[in-house]
Amino acid sequence: MKKRYALKLAVVALASTMAAGAVWAQQTTLRVFVGPNQRPDLQAKLFEQYNKANPGVKVEIETGGATSELQRQYLSTVLNAKDSAIDLFLIDIVNPAQYASKGWIEPLDKYVGGPAALRNDYLPVYQNANVIGGKVYAMPSQGDSMFMYYRKDLLTKHGVAEPKTWDELAAAAKKVTVAEGNPNLQGLSFQGAPIEGAVCTFLLPYWGQGKQFNDAAGKLTLDKTAAVNGLKMWLKMMDDGVSKKNIAEVTTPVTVNEFKAGNVVFAINWGFAFDRFKDDADSKVKGNVGVMPLPAMAGGKSATCMGGWQWAMNAYGKNKDAAGNLIKFLSSKEASAFIAREGSILPVYQSVYSDAAVNRVVPWFKDALPVVLGAQSRPMVEDYGQVSDIIRTTTSAILARTKTPEAGVDEIAARVGRLMR
Amino acid sequence: MLSKLRDPSEKTLAVLLLAPAFLLLLMIVVYPIGKLIYNSLMDVDKTGVFLGLRNYVDVIQDPLFWNATKNTLLITVITVPGALIVGLALAMLANLPFKRKWPVRLSLLLPWALPLSFAGLIFAWFFNTDYGVVNDVLFRLGLQTESSSWLLKPNWAFAAICLTIIWKTSSFMALILLAGLQMIPRTLYEAAEVDGASRWQQFWQITIPMLMPSIIVALIFRTITALQTFDIPYTMTRGGPGEATETLAMLIHKYTIEYSSIGFGSTLAVFMFVISLFVTGFYLRHIGKNAT
Repeated sequence: MKKRYALKLAVVALASTMAAGAVWAQQTTLRVFVGPNQRPDLQAKLFEQYNKANPGVKVEIETGGATSELQRQYLSTVLNAKDSAIDLFLIDIVNPAQYASKGWIEPLDKYVGGPAALRNDYLPVYQNANVIGGKVYAMPSQGDSMFMYYRKDLLTKHGVAEPKTWDELAAAAKKVTVAEGNPNLQGLSFQGAPIEGAVCTFLLPYWGQGKQFNDAAGKLTLDKTAAVNGLKMWLKMMDDGVSKKNIAEVTTPVTVNEFKAGNVVFAINWGFAFDRFKDDADSKVKGNVGVMPLPAMAGGKSATCMGGWQWAMNAYGKNKDAAGNLIKFLSSKEASAFIAREGSILPVYQSVYSDAAVNRVVPWFKDALPVVLGAQSRPMVEDYGQVSDIIRTTTSAILARTKTPEAGVDEIAARVGRLMR
Repeated sequence: MLSKLRDPSEKTLAVLLLAPAFLLLLMIVVYPIGKLIYNSLMDVDKTGVFLGLRNYVDVIQDPLFWNATKNTLLITVITVPGALIVGLALAMLANLPFKRKWPVRLSLLLPWALPLSFAGLIFAWFFNTDYGVVNDVLFRLGLQTESSSWLLKPNWAFAAICLTIIWKTSSFMALILLAGLQMIPRTLYEAAEVDGASRWQQFWQITIPMLMPSIIVALIFRTITALQTFDIPYTMTRGGPGEATETLAMLIHKYTIEYSSIGFGSTLAVFMFVISLFVTGFYLRHIGKNAT
């Protein structure tokens, strides 16, 4: 009697499991990775909208890795293992070439309609970064670029105009800090620690002399004299007391925090920082923050470093069709306008910069468009991880004065030259 | 067959009892090492073809490999004896007849219980240019008028890392040595006192020789972990300034994880494996024999 009862119970259990499985099978779950600086909170709201319109798809969010390098390390571990657990991920603008060459990301032509989908309204830099060998490998989601932030109140108080060259900036910073007499006030903060931002620290004054780091084919075209001049400009900033002596320890968040605390006159940082200066509860500079293009080197023109994040699909994923549809939604103009409005994140579409609803919340975007249109991208090569590491480690060592600019540039030329030829 | 298993001979029983452990070792030790060597010989990152020793030649020609090896060996040579001396002092302190033993034991255990990366982060803050305790103390003592960036100067950064490693690892040394100290019979010291031996003589003639087996065990463990140093320099300096404090384990991590260059990273790991093997062999051959 007992045995028969147990058997019945087992049959019922099996049947109900199968029924539940059938319902579950109709629903596709997509797992999406978003870095903590790429506003997972806003992405979650977009996923909610998508879930509502597509009841058959459930989007789960995963986040982690504080910096671009850490996220790259995490994703490359997952993808090297050919893991299918994550369907979509946001990757840095410098990564599509590397991921595509490893076969980690799926070409998206089938889902978004070929390279033509990236033309028209997208910022040109994203059209280039995401098409590799004639195929679309990622779709732009969030724009970013380096800006020069400054203390509007202090510049007005001391009658200083927005500087156009680095020399003017040094003089302006000196005038303000001397007049203020506050020993904690720094003239200029930028990133000298061996992090991704230091690649831009190396490139900004180099590009600012009208020089190119690489040609269209990805071959290194480093002008050593210009590179040395650029690095010497930073060293002079330290010698003159405009920047602090331990700039080789300064990371992106250090600049953000010190500017927020009111201890910096000029600060170089990514676009996301504006929201932090404006909205963070502990910001002492609310309402006093100005944004301008980066200064030029004498005789050169202003240049800035382009960043930004793209949606890419796991080539080992199991739900490619569903993931393709989600990418289309996430890279739409509506989605770009949504995160621009809600998070002051730079749009990837040109027209969104002058969108009335967006400008009501972020009026400075109108002025940001020319800066972003003139922005340059870091070399997009297969071995970017290594190229970046060589540039940032060497730049940081030069700023720590353990290497001379000449020796450091020779080292970059030799080591990067082997990877980009 | 079955009857044989039911009443196994001495030999069969041995095989049967050893089999699970052997299989486990095969899975978690032999297979990974085999795979590592395979990865170092093949072009696993791109074409998948057989490369032979090309990766090995590249490693030998890479100045970063020699730099990292030099740093790793230097860290080993400085921090292993350093931790032994500090650990021995701590163990002797803890072995004193305190009324309450637990506060001493607890303070001995604390650094050991702390994760390595925590220790690295804590000391990175100590040596921080702007907010560090070290600079603050030097200011207050009037020994400097301007903040020093300890971790941006190659030699000081190296010294700071060695200091942190010694602080972190000497408690492990102390634990092993304390156990050894407690095994030494009190009567030996009493006899020595009767014979008129000084404290100093007692230390060299009784404590050290009696403690030798514990010292050897502690040294072997500490040397192997020193060769694998990663967490503390990674969290304190990230190998900087430049590559001044980069260790072999960090270089392996850099190539395999940051550069996704599994082949080259595996080859570096083979080199580290060989170095560890060599050092352990040396201990077992020369010092291990004398101790027993």
